[in-house]
Amino acid sequence: MKGILKNKSIRRTMILTLTLMLVWPNFVEPAAAKEPATYRLKWLFNASVVGDLYADVHNLFAAKGLDVTVKEGGPERDAIRELEMGRAQFGVASADQVIRALDKGAAVVVIAQLFQINPLQWIYRPEKFRIDRLEDLKGKKLGVTFGGNDETILRTLLAKAGITEKDVTLFSVRYDYTPFYKHKVNFWPVYRNTQAIILSEKLRKEGEPVAFFNPAEFGVRFVANSVITSPRMIQEHPATVRNFTEALMLGWTQALDFNNHPKAIKTLQRFDKDTPVHILDQQLNETRKLIQPTPGFKVGTIDVAAWKQTEKIMLDQKQISTPVFVEKVLKSYIPY
Amino acid sequence: MRFSCRDITFKYPDASNYVFKNLSFELTEPGFNALFGPSGVGKTSFAKIITGEIKEFSGEISTDSMKILLYSYNLERLPGWSSVGKHLEKIIPLSQKSKKDELVEAFGLKEFIGARFSQLSLGQQNRVNLIRYLLQDFQMLIMDESLANVDELTREKILLKIKDMFPQTFFLYISHNVIEVSKFCKQILVLRSAGKIPQVITVEGENYSTLQQVDKQKLEQTMLEVMNASS
Amino acid sequence: MLLHRRIYQFFIIYLMGVALLLLLKYSLNLSDYVIPSLIDIWHTGIDVFVRYFSDVMNTLSVAVVGQIVSLLLAFLIGITGRQATWFGSFIKVAAYNVQAYPIVAIAPIIFILLGDGIATRLLIAAMICYFPLLLSVLGIMAEPITEIEHFYKVTGRMRWQLEIKIRAFENLNKLTTVIAGSATLAMAGTIVAEFIAANAGIGYSIRVALYQSDLAKILIALFLIGMTLSVYQGLLEATGYAVRKGWARI
Repeated sequence: MKGILKNKSIRRTMILTLTLMLVWPNFVEPAAAKEPATYRLKWLFNASVVGDLYADVHNLFAAKGLDVTVKEGGPERDAIRELEMGRAQFGVASADQVIRALDKGAAVVVIAQLFQINPLQWIYRPEKFRIDRLEDLKGKKLGVTFGGNDETILRTLLAKAGITEKDVTLFSVRYDYTPFYKHKVNFWPVYRNTQAIILSEKLRKEGEPVAFFNPAEFGVRFVANSVITSPRMIQEHPATVRNFTEALMLGWTQALDFNNHPKAIKTLQRFDKDTPVHILDQQLNETRKLIQPTPGFKVGTIDVAAWKQTEKIMLDQKQISTPVFVEKVLKSYIPY
Repeated sequence: MRFSCRDITFKYPDASNYVFKNLSFELTEPGFNALFGPSGVGKTSFAKIITGEIKEFSGEISTDSMKILLYSYNLERLPGWSSVGKHLEKIIPLSQKSKKDELVEAFGLKEFIGARFSQLSLGQQNRVNLIRYLLQDFQMLIMDESLANVDELTREKILLKIKDMFPQTFFLYISHNVIEVSKFCKQILVLRSAGKIPQVITVEGENYSTLQQVDKQKLEQTMLEVMNASS
Repeated sequence: MLLHRRIYQFFIIYLMGVALLLLLKYSLNLSDYVIPSLIDIWHTGIDVFVRYFSDVMNTLSVAVVGQIVSLLLAFLIGITGRQATWFGSFIKVAAYNVQAYPIVAIAPIIFILLGDGIATRLLIAAMICYFPLLLSVLGIMAEPITEIEHFYKVTGRMRWQLEIKIRAFENLNKLTTVIAGSATLAMAGTIVAEFIAANAGIGYSIRVALYQSDLAKILIALFLIGMTLSVYQGLLEATGYAVRKGWARI
C-alpha cells in the first residue's frame, strides 16, 4: 500500500478522482435562461405517471421557465438517493421510502402527494367468497411480496383483525400470475390502475369476474407515491420548487380532466407503446380515481393523517427504529 | 519374408510438391536396416505409409506374411499416473517378463524403474519407450530416432542387444548418424528428395553384431557410399 | 496455504470497497440512507449475521449440487461428443447460443415450469456454470495427446476409458482450475435464480433488502457471499492440488 501511494502518477490520479467526486454535484446547478432540473420517477413510464408526462409534453414546465428532464424510474432507481447525490432535483418516492430515508438521516421534503388512495390492492374472485370484514381473510391463501410494501400493509391488516400468521397462508409472489390463474392463491397483490386492468380483462375473457380488496376500506391508509425534493432546493431555489410544483399539478389536473382524456391517452401512447389503447383508457380512468377521488379534488393534497398512520405502521413493524415525525417534512407546495 | 515397395507416389493434400514419386525398394530378409536421409526428405511420412497411418498414396507395398508393422518415435511419452515399472508390467505380456528384465538391465534402466516417466532424462525416456515397443507382438518395427539423447556407448550396447535378441525381425532404424547406420545396419535405404531418380538408393551396411572387430577401411567405404547416395 | 491466502485477499478487496464507499460518503456528506455508516453496517451485521449466514449456506449447498450436476453433465456430453464431429460442433454452437441468452429472460420461463422451489434454483445454477464447464471439457476431451496415445493405438490397446484418462490427466491443471472457477459461476447462478425466482437463499434476502433500500444488509450479504466463496474455492483448489499431488506426484 505504502509503495502504491508513493507512486506519483497514481497519487495524482487519486487526487483528481477525489476532486472530481467532490465537485461533480455542483456541475448540475442551473445556469441557462431556462432553469434545468431533473425529475426522477419511481417506476417505468405508464398510466401511473400520466400527469408527469403530460406536464412535460405539453410544455407546462417550460411555461414556468423550467427545462425539466423527466426520467423513468425502475426497481433499482431511488429518487431520494439521487436527490442527495445531486443527480436529480425532484423525484417521486413512496411514503415508506421517505420514512425509511428519514430514519437513516437523509434530508428530504415532500412537496405534494400524488396518490390519495394506495394503488396497491389485492385481486380476488368474488364468486368464491366475499371480504366484508377483515376476519374473512382467515384460512385464505394470500399472495405477498416479502420485503415489499404489500407485506407491511398485509401484516398491519392481519394484526388489526387479530389474525395470526397461522390462520392464513402467505404465498410468495413473483412477476408471474400463474399461481393466481391456477387458483392456487386466493389473493394476489396488484397495482389497481395498471396491472390489475390487464389481469382482470384476461380473467373476464375466461368468464371469471374479479374484485379488489382495498386496505384503505378497512382503515389502513398506507401512503404511496409523492413528489419530493431536497431541503437545499427549498432553501436555495424556492421559486424553482414553486414553479415546478405548480406546473406538475397543472399537468396532473389537466391529464385527469375528462375533457382532456384523448390528449392524455395520446401522451401516454408516446411513452407506453406496448399497451393497447382500450387498456390505456381503463388505466387512465382508474388512475383518476386514485389521484382525484372526487371531482374538483385538489390534486397533490398531502394527507397528513395518512402519513402519520404510515409512520406508525412502520414503527409498529419495527421497520424504523425510532419515530421520525414525518409530518415535519410534509411541506405542501401545491398552488391552491 | 520380404518387404518391398513399388512406385510409391505421395503428396500431402493441398501441397503442390510430391514427397515421393515412383519410390521403389526391396528388403529381402529380416534384420536391422536403416532409413537414412537429410531432414525434411520425408522419412517420417514414409514410415507412416509403411505402417498404414497414411493411406492416401499410390503404388504398392508388399509385406509378405508380415501382419503387424509398428512405428515408434522419440517424442513419445508414457502416462504420468504411475511408475515406469508399473506401466511396463501392464503392457508387456507375462511371457515376455524375462526379456523385459534383460532389456531393462541392458538399456541401463534398472535403477529408474520405480520413477515416473517425467522424472527421467530425455535419453532414459526414449529407452523406456523403445523397450515397450520391442516387447510387443510385431514383424516390423520402425524406430524413428528412438535413441536420440542417448550417449554413444550406450547406443551401441543397445543396438547390439536388439540385433542379438531379435534376429528374425525387420527393423527400420531412422537416424542421422552416418557412422551408426553404416556400422550396425544390414541394408541402408538412403532416401533422397522427390526430384531425384531413383529416390531410394540401397547401400549394404557393415551389419556388425556382438564380438566382431571393426574393419575401419570397410566402414569408411560404406560411410562414403551413404554420403554420396544422399547428396 | 492457498485457502488462507484467498481469504485475506478477499478481505483486502472487501475492505477496499467499503473504504471507497465510506470515503465517498464522508467526502460528499451523504446520509446513512444513501451509504450506511460503519456503525450502521456493524449493527446490521450483528442483527442479520446468523440469518444471512444460514441463507448463504443454503445458497452454497444448492450451488454445490448444481455444480456437481453440471460437472457430471459436462463430462457426459464432453466425452460422448468428443469424437462425433458433427455432434461436437452442434454442442458447441448450442452452448454458445444458450450462454448468450440473459438468464433473467429465461428464469421466468423456468419459474413457470418448475415453480419457485429448489428445482428452479438448481437448474439456473447449473445452467450458468454448465456451459463454460462443458466447453472446457469438450475442448480437453477432443484434443488428442498423440505422443502418449500413439503407442496404445498402434498396439490395439486403446479403450475409450484409457483415452479419457490420458486426456484428463494431461489437462489436470486446466481441469481443476476450471472446476474451481465454475464454483463462482454456480454461486452467481444460484443467487440470480433466488433473486428472481425463489423464496429462500441469500439472493432472495438481497431482493428483500433491496425492497427496503437497505444497503447495509446488502453489504453484509456481499461480505458473507465473498467469504463463503473464497473458502469454497480455496477448498476446491486445495483438493485439486491434493489430487494432482496424489495422482501425478507433482
